[in-house]
Amino acid sequence: METEENRKGDNRSIHLPPPPPISLRPFDTSESDIDGLVALAADAAANRFLRRGPFASRDDAVRFLHDKVLPHPWYRAICLPDGRLVGSISLRPGISGDGAPRSASLGYRVAPKFRCRGIATEAVRAATAAAFEEWPELERVEAVADVENPASQRVLEKAGFAREAVLRDYMVLKGESRDVIMYSCMSRDRMARKTLKT
Amino acid sequence: MAEAELPAPVSLRRFDLSDLDDYWIWASDERVTASCSWEAYKNKDDLRRYMAETVLPNPWFLAIIAGGRPVGAVSLKIPEAANDRCRVELGYVLAREWWGKGVATAAVRLATEAAMAEIQGLERVEALVEIGNKASLRVLEKVGFQREGLLRRYWWNKGLIWDMAIYSFTTADSFLI
Repeated sequence: METEENRKGDNRSIHLPPPPPISLRPFDTSESDIDGLVALAADAAANRFLRRGPFASRDDAVRFLHDKVLPHPWYRAICLPDGRLVGSISLRPGISGDGAPRSASLGYRVAPKFRCRGIATEAVRAATAAAFEEWPELERVEAVADVENPASQRVLEKAGFAREAVLRDYMVLKGESRDVIMYSCMSRDRMARKTLKT
Repeated sequence: MAEAELPAPVSLRRFDLSDLDDYWIWASDERVTASCSWEAYKNKDDLRRYMAETVLPNPWFLAIIAGGRPVGAVSLKIPEAANDRCRVELGYVLAREWWGKGVATAAVRLATEAAMAEIQGLERVEALVEIGNKASLRVLEKVGFQREGLLRRYWWNKGLIWDMAIYSFTTADSFLI
């Protein structure tokens, strides 16, 4: 006989929440984008895994926007549907002899109060897809996560990246050398996932 | 490939333009350059220009000396960003007739030791080797480098995409030779 309790226990279909509807767009020179960069950097003081810390002044943020962000090959603001800027994500293409990048290096940050909602995972997925669209010869997108940053490791894993290696004493963070995990996503990993979906 | 490893006294020094003829021996050999990012040299003037402009001014582009003459080169690539200078990337190349004699192993050990002693803030010497290049993987392992993993489709070189094994020697490691 089917009781209330039986029915509850027999839930075989697992409903994952839909991915957050974030969008990626280039930064502009508006006051609100400069405010956004200032706010994102201010959070870095509390985040031991971010190399670039808070801006000393708003002028520094403006300089950063003009010197580093606008000329960057691929640098995007992560935005919520209401337009709020909640993070940034960038891809640095590798140099190849013929000008068609075969690899790109991904980095991102999300403001603390918007974490744990799947925003970073969705941004990484969208950026990776955009990279393979933008650079047709692209073979590989890679990203590193500190060994003591499981949240970032999970973001990359959920976005379909595979763990390749622990690189010891790879980079300096706040004065000390850190071990990082190298992750990568190949264009054929994505093709395999596309097939599984249909 | 069987290796006859005879001990050969090996040392490192800076290059000089007078090394041109010795340099030419490995730099013009396609069997040697197949695993390099560059093509075998076809004329000595080009090589002389490369030596003058790139090799001689670089304090970490060193001649491997065996049998009293340069038989190859070992070099370190220092990252541009100051924040990344806890690491350097090591590469080496060796004339064909000196393969299998322990020369590369000795040169890698000497270069790694010198780098650790002399480069401020250095914690890690890394090297990338194409996964199919067993002899080169063994050189690093014999020195005491640790294999950290395989970087898939990492390097676009000479019209092919290469899977690279990544190795490192850090301040936590000890030399095995």
